[in-house]
Amino acid sequence: MGKSVLIVDDSASVRQVVGMTLRGAGYTVLEASDGRDALGKLGDSRVNLVISDVNMPGMDGISFLKEMKARPANKFTPVIMLTTESGDSRKQAGKEAGARAWIVKPFQPAQLLEAVSKLVGP
Amino acid sequence: MSLSDALPTFLAEARGLLEAMETALGVLDGNPNDTGAINSLFRAAHTIKGSAGLFGLDHIVDFTHEMESVLDRVRDGALSLNSSRIELMLLCRDHIDRLLEVVEIGSEPDEALLTQGEELTARLRQDLPASAASPSDPIHWAPVTGDDPVRNLGSDPTEGDTLWHLSLRFGRDVLRHGMDPLSFIHYLNTLGEVRQVYTVTDALPPAEEMDPESCYLGFEIRLHSEADKQCIEDVFDFVREESQIRILPPGAHFPQFLALMQAVPEDNHRLGEILVGCGAITERELEHMLDAQARQKSDASPTSAPRLGEALVQEERIQPELVGAALRRQQEVRRRQAQESRLLRVRADKLDSLIDLVGELVIAGAGLQAQVQGQGDTALHESAQEIARLVDGIRDGAMNLRLVEIGETFSRFGRVVRDVSRETGKDIALRIEGAETELDKTVVERLADPLTHLVRNAIDHGIESPEIRQARSKPSQGQLHLGARHEAGSVVIEIMDDGGGLDRERILAKAKERGLLPSDAEPDDAEVWNLIFEPGFSTAQSVSNLSGRGVGMDVVKQAIDALRGGIEIESSPGQGSTFRIRLPLSLAIIDGFRVSVSGNEYVVPLDMVLECMEMPRDLTEGETPHLNLRGDVLPLLPLGAFFGLPKASVTRRNIVVVQWGGRSAGLLVDELQGQLQAVIKPLGPLFKGLPGISGSTILGSGEVALVLDVPGLLERVVSVDSASYLQ
Amino acid sequence: MECRLIQQDRRGSFVLEGELTIHHALDMKQALLSVLAQSESIEISLAGVTEMDTAGAQLLLMIKRAAEEQGVALRLKDHTSAVRTVVETMQLAGTLGDPMLIPGEAADGDHP
Repeated sequence: MGKSVLIVDDSASVRQVVGMTLRGAGYTVLEASDGRDALGKLGDSRVNLVISDVNMPGMDGISFLKEMKARPANKFTPVIMLTTESGDSRKQAGKEAGARAWIVKPFQPAQLLEAVSKLVGP
Repeated sequence: MSLSDALPTFLAEARGLLEAMETALGVLDGNPNDTGAINSLFRAAHTIKGSAGLFGLDHIVDFTHEMESVLDRVRDGALSLNSSRIELMLLCRDHIDRLLEVVEIGSEPDEALLTQGEELTARLRQDLPASAASPSDPIHWAPVTGDDPVRNLGSDPTEGDTLWHLSLRFGRDVLRHGMDPLSFIHYLNTLGEVRQVYTVTDALPPAEEMDPESCYLGFEIRLHSEADKQCIEDVFDFVREESQIRILPPGAHFPQFLALMQAVPEDNHRLGEILVGCGAITERELEHMLDAQARQKSDASPTSAPRLGEALVQEERIQPELVGAALRRQQEVRRRQAQESRLLRVRADKLDSLIDLVGELVIAGAGLQAQVQGQGDTALHESAQEIARLVDGIRDGAMNLRLVEIGETFSRFGRVVRDVSRETGKDIALRIEGAETELDKTVVERLADPLTHLVRNAIDHGIESPEIRQARSKPSQGQLHLGARHEAGSVVIEIMDDGGGLDRERILAKAKERGLLPSDAEPDDAEVWNLIFEPGFSTAQSVSNLSGRGVGMDVVKQAIDALRGGIEIESSPGQGSTFRIRLPLSLAIIDGFRVSVSGNEYVVPLDMVLECMEMPRDLTEGETPHLNLRGDVLPLLPLGAFFGLPKASVTRRNIVVVQWGGRSAGLLVDELQGQLQAVIKPLGPLFKGLPGISGSTILGSGEVALVLDVPGLLERVVSVDSASYLQ
Repeated sequence: MECRLIQQDRRGSFVLEGELTIHHALDMKQALLSVLAQSESIEISLAGVTEMDTAGAQLLLMIKRAAEEQGVALRLKDHTSAVRTVVETMQLAGTLGDPMLIPGEAADGDHP
């Protein structure tokens, strides 16, 4: 079974494209539409990588990240945050919450794939 | 699965967001401070932008980016949503809606839509500080703060040597953040081959003091790779900020290693052993280095000691390379800035009105010439000549302003080919030639749709599936060639595939079934191929969602006709087809040749005129519709009869031999009036379909002359028996 | 997925199973250090290790070094492919190998 990746984004088309790209490369992909949904889907299970949007209705990416990192299962799970260049203040908040990898939207699927394979291997 | 499969999701989602936008704007109209509505407005723009980017819909990304920037300021309280901003947001919403429609039909925004976008963008930018108004990098993997701690020690790769040395000391917290050094080392193998790894464990503290969640390891790596330095550096993007990443390019000498020794935490002897251990340097070199360093140390005063490496590096004169990469990047930025400052963006409509004026100037100039000719005043004549020469120059210069390279249009097809070949499960390579060929901007724009159709058609119906190709012992990868070149006053664009070619029998059968041909007709290949341009004619067995969009080949033909161009097909079974489009260089002003028939004036585009001659005495009208030109038999078209004009009594008639796209014919006219510059005015919609006429022009005398549609006439003389006009 | 160090017998044989990763690093550090007090000669079988990362490699390096300092003979054996991949990538076979690829029994005196 491939490495597992959770994609959290309120845009169905972003989830679809990211999911398609990663599944095509052999990863197992879980999808969630906001932080709350993601925490529910994760439960106590661990994923190898989380890709999360910052700005989402319901629970936003930063709060989600904090809650996820507070739970033992995904305390050390790497996170790629999807952000816009206008969100510098949020970047700092994300950094404090433990995010180190950022991808600026809009991005190309190939760029995402490259980042993912750097972090968790192909 | 491919990107275009996800496109409906994107469209549906974006429309939903536009609705949310409208609702939010409705709320804000009554209560401009409703934060919930402001957030939902922002999020809508943000989400559309993010998703559009995934699909490469750059115009939507650019536009929503501006909107998002303004809404970001509204969200921060820097701007308020007054009624004029709400109205602007509604207009923007509608604009996005229109952009989505264009995406849905698989087309590109037309000029009107682009202009509208620019106007809205300009209005949005009034609400933005100057710096934020410039579009930012589409992507960057920027660390949050801090300088780039990746040290560029040494020069770029030298030829033949591709062994890099990487010295990595990871930050204590990388493991806690989910960054595993192992993943990065594995990833290096995608850039080349990791030859040697020396794991440096010196920083590992005694067991009791060790925090097992911290990272204490370092690595000295020998990497064999053809990649450039940037590429290798980028591997460590996510950990760069908290780690020490040093990359020595291939061919690094011991001064660089010496500098490295000073930079890493381990002592010199220890690192020396490590470097010897991983084969970066030899024992002898190590001794040499340690000696050199000891010497330096004893010479140097304590205060200068920290700069030891630097001094050595300077001594060895590698300093230029040391800063090489950074310097080059800086130069690149400067070069790009310089290039940008040489370019000027001008609105297309300003250019168009200039061209219109130049057109008037050309006409007025011709009027002046005509007047002066009758005067016999030499000085006046010379002045008029000089002005005519300058007008020529202005005309050429103005026309040149409208020329753009076709490459940009071509390169868009890279995506089309990728997407469509994925949809159809075909493996297709796209080759582009002559991207630098220049064409009139309007022509390029109007060409985009027909070209897209032809490209999709070539992939969908032309190139076979890999299985069939293998069965036909062809390489499984299909070739699609897009080419452009200048050729004798025209531009030729070719779409060539190495697929199965057109199916002559099927086209013939269908044409006969539809009554386009008598059932016993045996036309030649070129005539058969031309049948596919008949309205509603489609040979595809099944209409796929690719080329079967309700746009047929007849629309392609119409679009090209409208540009005064022509299209021809070459095809051979099993080898592929070539669609060749021939277009005039410019649309607005041409060099023409004026002729008269029964008192009416006509203009023939000069670049299609091969030669002129008096009608041979032995060629009597009515006897034969052909002309023997030095052994070549050409069809002859009497223009007067063709246009149904009363016969004028002229003693001697003339023949203009015209040529286009490899075909020639003689036009029988009354008088030859000589060359002129003609500003082409399009015919009104009422006269658009007139056979043989492509436009009109105003002569210096103020008279109107009709511009002959030579490609159209040639087609007629070839396909219709011109003898019928002779009676 | 858990990570456990199980005592096999009183002569110092242990089996490590589960994922030897950062997620269990704190617990595993204590577990590994505690075995050193048990015997002069310790053998840890890695046969149950399903996953290993840099943190796991650090733990093995740590216990090797600690054993050396305390004069305990520590041998690691039965490297699974997850372990071998890490050891090979980091080229630590000399330190963590303890004849890694040579089948255990042949050279194995104290095997139960």
